[in-house]
Amino acid sequence: MATVTKPVEDVELLRRPNIPSADVRLPAVKDYEQVDDEITATLHPTVQWFIGLGVAITFLIIGALAWTYQIYTGLGVAGYNPPVMWGVYIVTFVFWIGIGHAGTLISAILYLFRAGFRTTIYRCAEAMTVFAVMTAGLFPILHLGRPWKFFWLIPYPNWRYIWPQMKSPLIWDVFAVLTYLTISATFLYIGLVPDLAILRDREKNPIRKRIFAQLALGWRNTDREWRHFVRAYLFLAAFSTPLVLSVHSVVSFDFAMSDVPGWHTTVFPPYFVAGAIYSGIGMVLTIMIPLRKWFNIKHYVTINDLDAAAKLALFTSLVVGVSYANEWFVAWYSGSPAEKQFFANRLWGQWWWASSLLYTCNICLPLSLFSQWCRRNTTWLFILSIFINIGMWFERFVIVVPSLSHEYEPWQWAGYRPTWVDYAILCGSFGWFSMWFLLFVKQFPVIALTEIKEIVKPRLKRRHATGVDVTAHPLPFMPDTPGEFD
Amino acid sequence: MSSEETESKGIKRRDFLKVVGGGVAVAASIGCESDKIEKLIPYLVSPDNTVPGVSTYYATTCRGCAAACGLIAETRDGRTTKLEGNPDHPVNRGALCATGQAELQALYNPDRYRSPMIRKNGKLVAAKWDEAFKLFSEKLGETRSRGGAANAVFINQHESGSFPAFLDQWLSDFGMPAHISYDAGVDTEAIAAHTAAYGVAWPRFDFTATQLIISFGADFLDGWGPSVPQQLDWADARAKLAGAPRLVFVGARRSLTGLNADTWIDCKPGTEISVARALSGEMPVAAAAQACGVDASRLQAVVDEYKAAKPALVLAGGHVAGAAQLLAAASALNHANGAIGTAIRPDQALLGYEGIAAPAQLRAAVARMNSGGVSLLMVRGANPAYSMPRSTGFAQAMAKVPFKVSFSSIMDDTSELCDLVLPDHHSLEQWGDAEPVRGTLSLQQPAMDPVFDSLATSDVLIRIAKGDPATAAKYAMPDYRSWLIARIPGGAEGMAAALPKGIVAGTALARTAARPALPAIAQVPDIATTSGDLYLYVYHHPVLRDGRGANKPWLQELPDPVTKLTWQTVVEMHPLTALKMGLDNSDLVVVTTSAGKLAAPVYLYLGIRQDTIAIATGRGHVNAGRYAKAGENAFDLVPLAENAAGGIALVSTRASVTKAGGSMLLATTEGSARQHLRDIARAIPVGELNGGGAHKAEPEEEHLEGDASHEFLPGLRSPVANDAQGDFGNPNSNDKGMYDPNHWSNMAKRRWAMTIDLARCTGCAACVTACYAENNIPTVGADWQAAQILPDRTGFGANITRSREMAWIRLERYYEGGEDGSADFETRFIPMMCQHCGNAPCEPVCPVYATYHAPDGLNVQVYNRCVGTRYCSNNCPYKVRYFNWFGYGEPHRPQYAFPEPLNWQLNPDVTVRGKGVMEKCSMCVQRIRGAEHRAKLEDRPLRPDEFTTACAEACPSRAITFGDAADESWSVTRLIKDERAYHVFEELNTFTAVVYLKKVNHPSPAAEPAHA
Repeated sequence: MATVTKPVEDVELLRRPNIPSADVRLPAVKDYEQVDDEITATLHPTVQWFIGLGVAITFLIIGALAWTYQIYTGLGVAGYNPPVMWGVYIVTFVFWIGIGHAGTLISAILYLFRAGFRTTIYRCAEAMTVFAVMTAGLFPILHLGRPWKFFWLIPYPNWRYIWPQMKSPLIWDVFAVLTYLTISATFLYIGLVPDLAILRDREKNPIRKRIFAQLALGWRNTDREWRHFVRAYLFLAAFSTPLVLSVHSVVSFDFAMSDVPGWHTTVFPPYFVAGAIYSGIGMVLTIMIPLRKWFNIKHYVTINDLDAAAKLALFTSLVVGVSYANEWFVAWYSGSPAEKQFFANRLWGQWWWASSLLYTCNICLPLSLFSQWCRRNTTWLFILSIFINIGMWFERFVIVVPSLSHEYEPWQWAGYRPTWVDYAILCGSFGWFSMWFLLFVKQFPVIALTEIKEIVKPRLKRRHATGVDVTAHPLPFMPDTPGEFD
Repeated sequence: MSSEETESKGIKRRDFLKVVGGGVAVAASIGCESDKIEKLIPYLVSPDNTVPGVSTYYATTCRGCAAACGLIAETRDGRTTKLEGNPDHPVNRGALCATGQAELQALYNPDRYRSPMIRKNGKLVAAKWDEAFKLFSEKLGETRSRGGAANAVFINQHESGSFPAFLDQWLSDFGMPAHISYDAGVDTEAIAAHTAAYGVAWPRFDFTATQLIISFGADFLDGWGPSVPQQLDWADARAKLAGAPRLVFVGARRSLTGLNADTWIDCKPGTEISVARALSGEMPVAAAAQACGVDASRLQAVVDEYKAAKPALVLAGGHVAGAAQLLAAASALNHANGAIGTAIRPDQALLGYEGIAAPAQLRAAVARMNSGGVSLLMVRGANPAYSMPRSTGFAQAMAKVPFKVSFSSIMDDTSELCDLVLPDHHSLEQWGDAEPVRGTLSLQQPAMDPVFDSLATSDVLIRIAKGDPATAAKYAMPDYRSWLIARIPGGAEGMAAALPKGIVAGTALARTAARPALPAIAQVPDIATTSGDLYLYVYHHPVLRDGRGANKPWLQELPDPVTKLTWQTVVEMHPLTALKMGLDNSDLVVVTTSAGKLAAPVYLYLGIRQDTIAIATGRGHVNAGRYAKAGENAFDLVPLAENAAGGIALVSTRASVTKAGGSMLLATTEGSARQHLRDIARAIPVGELNGGGAHKAEPEEEHLEGDASHEFLPGLRSPVANDAQGDFGNPNSNDKGMYDPNHWSNMAKRRWAMTIDLARCTGCAACVTACYAENNIPTVGADWQAAQILPDRTGFGANITRSREMAWIRLERYYEGGEDGSADFETRFIPMMCQHCGNAPCEPVCPVYATYHAPDGLNVQVYNRCVGTRYCSNNCPYKVRYFNWFGYGEPHRPQYAFPEPLNWQLNPDVTVRGKGVMEKCSMCVQRIRGAEHRAKLEDRPLRPDEFTTACAEACPSRAITFGDAADESWSVTRLIKDERAYHVFEELNTFTAVVYLKKVNHPSPAAEPAHA
């Protein structure tokens, strides 16, 4: 919303790609009408969209069938190989939670930091967050031996006076993830309200119009509403900011609080948060780059925005790289044979392939982002974002599986190989996520209409003396209805 | 739809409710109805002294092998649920090996014959006993009328007692020759040599009376003779620590006995005699070392040690070709060094081994069968079609016999070739006796009613005899039981008085019938001249023996104490040999000998010579039940070769080994066999012992505030002192931990704990089977127990290839040394189970309190509360928690581990765990609570050492001691204070309740003083 922006002279255009990100300019966007028309045009379903949705639902069904089979037969159908008691499901859980970090980071933290490039991508990132957390939330249930008893992890009053074990990081997880899901969903919805009002006003279909009307909560675009809205938005942004840090810290406690070599380390909370943001940015790029092409919104999500996101990815990649180095150092410095041998095994032993894959994807390839050419080459950015996604999945794999497979007790060292059920459920999670996301992008604008309008210079009937439209000034007209200016 | 339409055409609301209500009622009634009506308690009118839910204990005799150990069969509501050793029995003194405990799975085997079977149109079909009797009498009559009675052959599984003599009498009454008492798992060569040298088949070896034991392939801890008493004696000898005998093992492959040895002389197969000659001085050491391919200096050290040690005990096994000279040489050595009468006690002979026929007798019978000279073949218990080497052609010869009768109670390879099966009772269902030591009868009584429609063979014989006018008068007794009672001193009263103890003074009826002379021995080729690249070392599996255990899932799943493999036959190969051949663990190879070929995966084993491969027998049955199909049959590879006394020479040839291409996952429970500096299984050289006393006082260390407490006992944190993070050891501390000692439950005064003496433990794994039996642990390795849709790893060992075995207690086998592939390595066995930590890592991570700390120190797992996050297992440094990946306890599933009637073996005191929950060692909490309740009912405190856990009860080396570590009067508290005591992973501050006592190493006197 109230990103502090200042209008720019047309002549400057996109000359200086490394401009401070607060100065977002959309030279190709001329007026409010264009914003409304172009963005609402993206909401019309296309054949390709139906095909995509079909593929997503197919994947979801495959995953759902695999889960049904797993519930009926037992967890043994997955590839667990004791002592590797956690496998693909926990890896995927942490992966999706990580993905779910970028949205709130972009919409809340970057909002507070007045990073202008967030304006064009935040809606998409925020929707991605909600759906990613919804996906992630399935996995702790999915990996239970008795998933139908999952509610025992929730503290609910019962006549047996049995309460969950509050010392267990898994209980902290329940709270952290549920809180995060609630807040990010609320944040997404609140941000949508003014846009919903626009959709309501433009909608011809009476049923849809009615739904939008309900969802828009009677938004009239009044000054008073905006004042409350901006307050609420700021409050939620401030509220979500610590959550961004806390959720993944808590998730990392699942590992850090245990005594497993490779897990038991204090660096995990910041390391996980950095990794989460990194993977989230990777996923934003994976989604935004094709989306801006297919939805013809390249002039909204400009190359400058992608450039800025790429810089953020590079920074978090470096943070993550330092965390890796710190892990190796501590393993060596600990003097503990279990710790040292575990790291040797991770790097050069049975898991060399997974860790090399991880280091290549997460540290080596992103170094290319030091080059401006790479940052502004959407093809490379897209390919790199896929590598980052793979790398971040394998980062969690390398944390979860090799640590368990090579613990204190050498007699119980083992390997791990997922089965088709693991893969099917992994695919199912992508299907589930994509289904929600695809449904979202055809119902709601993927670019925040009202926020874009803050950047776009309004076409005024009468120029203000100073040429600056500062809302504080009493102007002879009220910009209540879009397209009013002519 | 408008309202009018609803009223006119659609279902009326009232109708709808009716249908719904009816449907619910039907669904509910179906849900309530069980498929069949079962009696909750099998007795309508209970016999005297039977209280529902309370166990009755019957003393009886084990027939798992020839040793005839004493059993206590625990029977609840008419079903035997557990076998334990009889403490009063002179042979096993309360201990019981895995094979013996698994007799329960023979009793409840799902592949038992459920009724007599008659071959009709080439297939065995169920029949009535009357029909079977009629057929048997007819055939007997036919045989006799044709004058073929003298050509009949009766093969009986060798057993001690009066039945063999009874059987001989019956046979002679019908004009038939004496039976062949066959036991493929017994070393008949050694028996012949013992009889020649000491006058008894199997003397007692008193290991405590010797300084040095030299074993030439005599696996006295794992199958060479009676394992249980030999293990008891061995453990007692080793428990002397400083005065304990050293063991030198001579042989091409280290067996369990070999791994327990202090020195291994890895001589070529067949050259053991050279070592024996070097010992006796008949051969220069250098020449002997040259001949057997060992390092001369190592051999010299053994020879020197032998000369210095008086008495030394020399044992030799007879399965190697040319063993007769070796056995004779061993006897001569024992005579020379004065071992007879001291270390070898013929006066305490184990009589169970008397009268075993040499396999050559059977081979001679095969020749007669082939020539059509056998009119009638009867087999009881024995399975020669499997356990005679394929080269003898037993199965093919059977086809030439006109009529074959089997008295086998379980389906096996031999009985499936017979025309008539008259299923015998299992030994736990019938009467009998045995004379395990001279002058003592070990009684065998039924512990329960027969499971199936079977009949004791003795009673079948009596009934047949009654049906024949010629013999009816002689067999006037109603049944075998009354015949037996008549033999017992004191008759029925004497029997009744003796039965509770299971033993009575007396002698078994001796066999008097003339037995055939030993036939001419098949030529033994010199191994060195046979063709092939590598020596083939075939040996009897330590728990499956000669194949008898193959259809018992406990034994299939029990990791071989040496190789740690389950459900699978492997080719054991030295790592360096494999490297040369470009092979690795699990690569498939084809082993070919003159007798046959076999394909199996390679298992790299350090304890084998580089020019030798080894394969265990026992698996790969054609037709012996569902579980016995696992693996390959090593008997296929054994060429016909006999030793002087008619025993099969299992090691008699070389074999060519070729890469078959492809691989097969090893169903092993072994992760890494090295400790990787973790100090899990610790050892101390005997010279560094402090005299067996308490800990040496250690210098006072600087104590930091908040540091883990060291002040309780120097070096060892007593389990009671630090239970549940409290400072119980420090009377001034206010930190009482989770439970105050005055906790209302009154339980916090106790701390259940356990010591395991690694100096005693031999690694035999009897404790593992005991735990399976006591705690209803499912076996998971049968091939149908894997995932059913798109299973990624099929075949036997299905779940084990993913390390999903459920053994609550496991035997870890760690090597020390020998990294370069040399023979000079040490093995340490350590049983590992839940350590019941005072400060347990598993407890705080469980989100639902499914695992929590009981006031008496137990780490408790609540199955009903478990949701299956498996975090507890991740956080357990000992990795002793096991997860139910499938519904192993659900009868409708392919993964069901207890197919009817195996489910009868289940301990009613212990839940069968459901799918998706975690389980682990409970320190037999049902026994603890049972004892507490008993004490309470009797209004008395618990007596020290009143009860113990299943593993400790079975342990044949008495290594495990269980008790209350908070009470000085229990023996466990004394053992905890031993100077050898340590905790595993003490540095993790888990404050375990299981205390290990270090193994004691006995370095060779010639060796350099070993470093600590």
